[in-house]
Amino acid sequence: MSSQLPIFLFLVPFVTAVAMPIVCTKRRSWCRPLTTGAVSVMVILAIINLRVILSEGSIEYAFGGWAAPLGIAWLVDPLAAVMALAMSAISLLSLIYGRTVMTSRLEKSVQYYTLVLLFIAALVGIIFAADLFNIFVFLEVSALTSYALVGAGGGKSLVYAFRYLLLGSFGATLYLLGVSYLYAATGTLNMPDLATRVPELITSTAVVGGLIFVFLGLSIKMALVPLHGWLPGAYANAPNPVAPLLASTATKVALLAWVRIETSLIAPGLEVSHISVLVLLEDIGVLAAIVGGALALVQTDIKRMFAYGGISHIGLILIGVSLGNPTALAGGLFYLINDAVMQATLFMIAGAVFHYHGAQTLNDLKGVSKRSPWLTGALVVAAVSMVGLPPTGGFFGKWNIVLGALEAQHYIAVFAVLASTLLTLGYFLKLFSCWFHQPVTIRSEPFDVTVPLRISLGIASGALIGLGLISDSIVRILRESLASGGL
Amino acid sequence: MAELFQALSQRPNFVVFVILFLWGIYIMAAHPNYVKKLIGLYIVQTSVLFFLVAFSAKDDATVPIVSGEMALLDAAAYANPLPHVLTVTAIVVQVATLGVSLALVSGIYRKYGSLDEDEVVKKAE
Repeated sequence: MSSQLPIFLFLVPFVTAVAMPIVCTKRRSWCRPLTTGAVSVMVILAIINLRVILSEGSIEYAFGGWAAPLGIAWLVDPLAAVMALAMSAISLLSLIYGRTVMTSRLEKSVQYYTLVLLFIAALVGIIFAADLFNIFVFLEVSALTSYALVGAGGGKSLVYAFRYLLLGSFGATLYLLGVSYLYAATGTLNMPDLATRVPELITSTAVVGGLIFVFLGLSIKMALVPLHGWLPGAYANAPNPVAPLLASTATKVALLAWVRIETSLIAPGLEVSHISVLVLLEDIGVLAAIVGGALALVQTDIKRMFAYGGISHIGLILIGVSLGNPTALAGGLFYLINDAVMQATLFMIAGAVFHYHGAQTLNDLKGVSKRSPWLTGALVVAAVSMVGLPPTGGFFGKWNIVLGALEAQHYIAVFAVLASTLLTLGYFLKLFSCWFHQPVTIRSEPFDVTVPLRISLGIASGALIGLGLISDSIVRILRESLASGGL
Repeated sequence: MAELFQALSQRPNFVVFVILFLWGIYIMAAHPNYVKKLIGLYIVQTSVLFFLVAFSAKDDATVPIVSGEMALLDAAAYANPLPHVLTVTAIVVQVATLGVSLALVSGIYRKYGSLDEDEVVKKAE
C-alpha cells in the first residue's frame, strides 16, 4: 500500500480536478471546500509519504508494472518527498489565503478551481518524474494552467498572459528539441539510464547541443536572467488569490527539474571545449542574482519588486546547485524551499494590501503599518528571511551556499551571495520607508483582517522561522539523498 | 565549405527543420499581430515534431508489431515506435496550447478591439 502513495499524491488533485465540473456546475458553493479538502488530503499523504521514504528508502514507481527503462518510472527519493510536501503545503496555504481576496466572479467559477487543482497535480508530476519526456508533459500541464490562471484576471492580465504563453511555449519547444537530441544520441529518456550513457558520449555535439537546448528551455520556465522578461508582468497582474501559488511554485519546480538533470548528467569538473560547464552555470547564477536584485531595487510597483526578488533568488539557488559539492547543493535546495515560502508570503501580503488598502505602488503604502499589525508582522518576518538573518531559514540556505563556495574556492559566488543580500536589504529598506511612513491623511482606522488571512500569514511566518530551526535536519536529509547516488 | 554543403545535401530533412524553426522564430518576433505570432509559434513547434519524425525514419523497416515468437527478433527490421509516440503526445500538447492561446487572443480582442500588439499595449498601459 505504502508503495502506491506517490501516485495517490498525484491522483487526489487530478481526479478532483476532473470531477469538479461534473459535481460543482450546479452547486457553485462546493468548489472551494472541495478544492481545499483535496489539497488537505494531499498534504497529509505527503507527510506520510515523507515518513515512509525516510524510514524505508527511495521508491522507484514503475507505471503499469513496466520497469524502467522500458516503462515510465517515477523516482521518489527523500529530495522529491521533501519537495512534494513543501509544494503541497504551500498550495494549501495559498488556497486558505485565497478566500480573503477572492473576487465574486472567480469564486463562482468552476473552471478556476479546476485549473488550480490541475496546476497542483502537475507540480507533483514534475517533482517525481524520472523521465525527460514525462517532465515535458507535466511542465506543459503546469504551464498551460498557469497561462489560463494569469489570464483569469481579465483586462491587462490577458496581455501579460499572452506574452507569458508565447515565451513559455517557446521554452517548452526548446526543451522538447533538447530531449529529442538526447534521445537520438542515447536511445533512452529515463534519467538513471541516461546518467549511465551520457558521460561516455559527452564529446558528441548532439548530446552537448541537447543539454544546451534543455537548459535554455528550462531557463525560460524558471525565469533565469536574461530570459526573465515574462515573469514580472505576469505575476504582477495575475489575480490576487492565485498569485502566491504561481509565484512560489512554477519557477521553482522548473529549477528543480534542471537540478535533477544537472546532478545526474553533468559530472563535476566536466569540460566541453575547455569551458567548465558547472562554472559557466554558476556564473549565469551570479549574473541572475545580481541583476535580479538590482532590478528589484528600482521598481516602484510592490508586486514587481517581489517578482524581481524571486528572480534574483533563482540565481542564488543556481549558484548553490552548480558549485559541485554536496554542502552547496543541499544549501541551494534548502534555499529553494525557503524561497518558495518567502515568495508565497510576500505575494500574500501584496495581495492583501491591494485588497484592503488599494495599494499597488510603494507610494500608496503610506500608513499601512498603523492599519494592520498582522500584515506588518508577516512582512517583517519575510524581510528578515529574504535578507537572511539567523533565526530564519533564509540565513541557513545562504550560509550553506557560502560554505560550499568557500570549500570550492569560488569567491565570485561568495561575492554574489553577499551582493544580492545587500541589494535585498536595499529594496526592503525602500519598502519599509514607505510602509512605516506616518500619513497626514485621516485614513488610519485599522482594517478587519479576516481569520483565514491571519491563519495563512501566521503559518507562513511560522514556517519561515521553523525552517530555520529545523534547517539542520532538512539539510542532512537533502545531503544524504544526494550522496546516496539518487538523482 | 564544400564538405559542409555535401553534408547538408545528404540531410535535406534537417535543413528543412532548421529553416522552419528559424522562420517560425522570425514570425514570432517580427509580426506585431497576435494571430501571426501564434502562427509563428505553431511553425516552431511543428518543426520540432518534424525533426523527431525525421530522425526516426528507417529504410526497409516495418511496423513494430510482433506476432508469434518473441525470442528471435531482428531489431533492424522494425521501426522504433517511441519517437512517434512522443510526436503524438507533443501534438496533443500543441493543440492544448493553441486552444489556450486562442482563448487569450479572443479575450484581448473583445477587451481592446484590436489584435495589434503595439496598439493593445498602448491601450493597456
